[in-house]
Amino acid sequence: MGTENPARPTFPSRPAVTPFSSTGPVAGSEPPSYRPTPAAPPPAATPFSSAGPAAARPGFRPAPPARFNDPSVAPPPRASTPGGPYQQFPAAPFPPTTQQQRGPIMGQASQAPPFPTSLPAQPQMPFVPMGSPPPQSAAPPHLGSNAPPPTFQPTFPGYPNKPPGAEMQPPPMHSNFPPNQGNYGPVPPAAPSPFMSHQGGYAPAPPMAPPVGMQPPASVPPMGAVQALAEDFNALTMQTRPGTMDPLFDPKELPRPLEGDVEPKILVDMYPMNCSPRYLRLTTSAVPSSQSLASRWHLPLGAVVCPLAEPPDGEEVPIVNFAPASVVRCRRCRTYVNPYMTFTEAGRKFRCNVCTLLNDVPSEYYAQLDASGKRVDINQRPELTKGTVEFVAPAEYMVRAPMPPVYFFLIDVSISAVRSGMIEVVANTIKSCLDELPGFPRTQIGFATFDSTIHFYNMKSSLTQPQMLVVSDLDDIFIPLPDDLLVNLSESRSVVETFLDSLPTMFQDNVNLESAFGPALKSAFMVMSQLGGKLLIFQNSLPSLGVGRLRLRGDDSRVYGTDKEHGLRLPEDPFYKQMAAEFSKYQISTNVYAFSDKYTDIASLGTLAKYTAGQVYYYPAFQSAIHGEKLRHELRRDLTRETAWEAVMRIRCAKGVRFTTYHGNFMLRSTDLLALPAVDCDKAFAMQLSLEETLLTTQTMYFQVALLYTASCGERRIRVHTMAVPVVTELADIYRLADTGAIVSLLSRLAIEKSLSQKLEDARTGVQLRIVKALREYRNLYAVQHRLANRMIYPESLKFLMLYGLALCRSTALRGGYGDVPLDERCAAGHIIMTVSIKRLLKLLYPSLIRLDEYLLKASVQADDLKSIERRLPLTGESLDSRGLYIYDDGFRCIIWFGRVISPDIAKNLLGADFAAELSKTTLGEHDNEMSRRLMRVLEKLRNTDRAYYQLSHLVRQGEQPKEGFLLLGNLVEDQMGGNSGYAEWMLQISRQVQQS
Amino acid sequence: MGWNLLFWLAICFPVNIALLASTFYQVLILSDLESDYINPFDASSRINYLVLPEFIAQGALCALCLFTGHWFMFLLTVPVTCYHLMLYVKREHLIDVTEVFRVINAEKKLRIAKLALYLIVLIVTIFRLTLIGVYYLGIEDDEDIGNLWR
Repeated sequence: MGTENPARPTFPSRPAVTPFSSTGPVAGSEPPSYRPTPAAPPPAATPFSSAGPAAARPGFRPAPPARFNDPSVAPPPRASTPGGPYQQFPAAPFPPTTQQQRGPIMGQASQAPPFPTSLPAQPQMPFVPMGSPPPQSAAPPHLGSNAPPPTFQPTFPGYPNKPPGAEMQPPPMHSNFPPNQGNYGPVPPAAPSPFMSHQGGYAPAPPMAPPVGMQPPASVPPMGAVQALAEDFNALTMQTRPGTMDPLFDPKELPRPLEGDVEPKILVDMYPMNCSPRYLRLTTSAVPSSQSLASRWHLPLGAVVCPLAEPPDGEEVPIVNFAPASVVRCRRCRTYVNPYMTFTEAGRKFRCNVCTLLNDVPSEYYAQLDASGKRVDINQRPELTKGTVEFVAPAEYMVRAPMPPVYFFLIDVSISAVRSGMIEVVANTIKSCLDELPGFPRTQIGFATFDSTIHFYNMKSSLTQPQMLVVSDLDDIFIPLPDDLLVNLSESRSVVETFLDSLPTMFQDNVNLESAFGPALKSAFMVMSQLGGKLLIFQNSLPSLGVGRLRLRGDDSRVYGTDKEHGLRLPEDPFYKQMAAEFSKYQISTNVYAFSDKYTDIASLGTLAKYTAGQVYYYPAFQSAIHGEKLRHELRRDLTRETAWEAVMRIRCAKGVRFTTYHGNFMLRSTDLLALPAVDCDKAFAMQLSLEETLLTTQTMYFQVALLYTASCGERRIRVHTMAVPVVTELADIYRLADTGAIVSLLSRLAIEKSLSQKLEDARTGVQLRIVKALREYRNLYAVQHRLANRMIYPESLKFLMLYGLALCRSTALRGGYGDVPLDERCAAGHIIMTVSIKRLLKLLYPSLIRLDEYLLKASVQADDLKSIERRLPLTGESLDSRGLYIYDDGFRCIIWFGRVISPDIAKNLLGADFAAELSKTTLGEHDNEMSRRLMRVLEKLRNTDRAYYQLSHLVRQGEQPKEGFLLLGNLVEDQMGGNSGYAEWMLQISRQVQQS
Repeated sequence: MGWNLLFWLAICFPVNIALLASTFYQVLILSDLESDYINPFDASSRINYLVLPEFIAQGALCALCLFTGHWFMFLLTVPVTCYHLMLYVKREHLIDVTEVFRVINAEKKLRIAKLALYLIVLIVTIFRLTLIGVYYLGIEDDEDIGNLWR
């Protein structure tokens, strides 16, 4: 290629090199080796073949056979089943123990005694997860390579792994074993067994010795086609004692996400040049090829994007500067240059991976191709090897000069704010953060305070003292000094500091009860509308004066359960929505900090944050002595984290697929453009996609997230995340590649949105219904080949979905009704769910519960020996031992639970002399002993894992009602509590509904 | 008989034309918004500016038809009036700029339906106007036709 043009090699390669070397300082920070996997195939190739190089492991092999280990552990080491051709199967996987067990049971099938003998073995092998095959097994090419007789499968679709002994089993009617499913596992007592034992008068209380109906893995090729997939599923027998609701399975065996969020690894192997899943995750890492297929996937189909997620230490997003050329993009679909674009015609043209248009390479960007068709400069070009890059945007990406970071503080100084001590904490925190505000020396800052009047502060750099200017006319707001209210921080530093020093004392005798919040908001808008920026509102009472005043509502329990219920969760006054729209238009992002002990109408105030990409922080009944630390950390984080200003975000994908709905805190500027006045690493956005064409002909679908923003340093940048996913034609593949975290994130956002237009009950039912539909569809895939009576089957990838669904229905935002959660807390929780990233959401839904006392009592521990406390316990009351000390951590708070008969030593050491006092008045401080220091270290470690929120620790003693109830017991999502179902019961409900098809 | 002509010519016809034009304009803005030729702030403020006048004109026309005994016209227009009234009472008559893209399809369909209805009303109006005009101008003596189309 390219030989027909002899002039080529010499002339254009120069310009391509020079701009790059001239931008050395920018790109210089990157390590030179961008390309860890040079073997990456050309993107235009089919997904399967491109998956090939990554498939180092033998691809097509039936699941490793019997798995006797814990269900939660990863698939057993491949090495244990060498080579894995089919024929080895029956012999290798059968350990002697299996045979031994099998013997007695078969011999005495009709008698009771065998049960106990077989029982001990069962708990160890619960859900034998379906030995999830390596993802590459979908690839037809492997079939020929290492599965010797591929035709073998279709012949016995249902019995692929059937051991030789199985043929000798008696017919199903009088067997205790489910004869189907290709059982090789050692736990035959499946569906029929418990039931039969009952009929036979098998008295010895089954609930105590639960005939666990865990199914061994059933390895099933779903379709009989030649390229049959080794698809597996997990199964769980769902039965109750006849006539009662007692589950006949052991709730201990249910799957639990004790490892927290697990990012999907499949795509990383298939497409190594994709962006990291921390930025972009799809609910299923595959796009269905047709509308009919998509309609059979009943879970949300979409993506969760966290465009500025914090990369782990040592990893940085490469910054690419194309200057003096413009950013290289496809002419037609405007896709940014990415690793999947292919260069042809000796490097003069490139083919867009999204719309397949052949574009000219700009002369500045030209580089020759080497023998394998790759650009010679590919190793110096991170945008051609990495899924995540930042481009420096030239002037045509600006509507105005890049704005400086602007922080404006609107602080309530009415009597309740003074009494709570909020002002002091806020003033001190802001002062301590002044050095760390991003964007020095351009940062601008301003303050206003309000009670029944609005106070502005002139902080002109020439002054020594700030001047206070009071506006009391609330109907006709004006700005007394248009220029000096928002000042450059570095110039007016001393005035700002003087102001912050005097702010707490300035209002300490204020007895004003009123709050002219609406007018204050308007005036803040007038001050900021020139530049935009970030508006931080500290609100301590219900807005009571002027425009936007709100009334007490929500204390009427009769509204709940009626059609008017959702109105309580919506803004009462359209003023707030209008203001939010105006804010968004002028690039102002609003963060609301609410502190009141009474009703403050978070539903209305939160609207401001909702449409301006802001955040709601709610500290009910704020007291600086107790909550001060939390506010200090979270405000500090808010002020100092890296922020992208005046941003817009768009996600592009190839023709045939379209993003239709978006969920999160932002405002849509056009059908697919998200306006984000300020966005940071703690915000995630979800979106759903739909298929526009009935059939997709491509084999790979590309998604590209582009965030155009102004960095704090004043540079306009475009952050681009590119992801390729395969287009699949089988429903089983979609299930196999599903990502529970992303699904739960989208489901919860949808449920929260539903709770804004319907009853809470409907929102909860909606969640359950979607899970049921999805599982029913999955069941139908396998119902033909297998007898599935009384068994609940689900894909390995979705094994936690049911539990997260339950946890979502029992979360603060959706739980119960009027009496269960105060309205404000419910709304605030809803706002949190709408913004947080997947990882944080999963932690919030299924918090970790860790036992601490053993660690604290251990005689000698190495300073950093914190491993022992990483074992998470199931969230059920049974995990709590009254001799123990437990810590419950949901990412937003820690609850430390003292057992009733905990050793007084621990209590004394941790709480000091007043350990017997009521815990609600005690705060946890460090005491001068080893135990207390250790506990502090543990808390420190928990807080350091996620700095977005500060986990304030609450102390609670066993039996201390009602505090224990609402702090901890109500949050143990697996326990039945009040009207909420427990995990076992929930699984039964779902399983029953799934089977009612 | 002069009143009848006045009703059709001076009230019904121009009001109908105005309704038609305003609805058409709103549909136009919505499709512009969909294809990103206009930003949501301008679009919703332009549409919202027209919403109340449209409701009032439409309601007045409907009431007038009732009071002047034009039953057919009244029955044709009354569903829209009721719908408008319902929207107004629920305070959902204005386009919410923050959520405009979520409702854009529904709003567009609604307006196209209204457009069709207004068109039918306009055709009926023109038809009657012509008949009455013909009656006044030419066949004044023919009482039968006059009575028929009163």
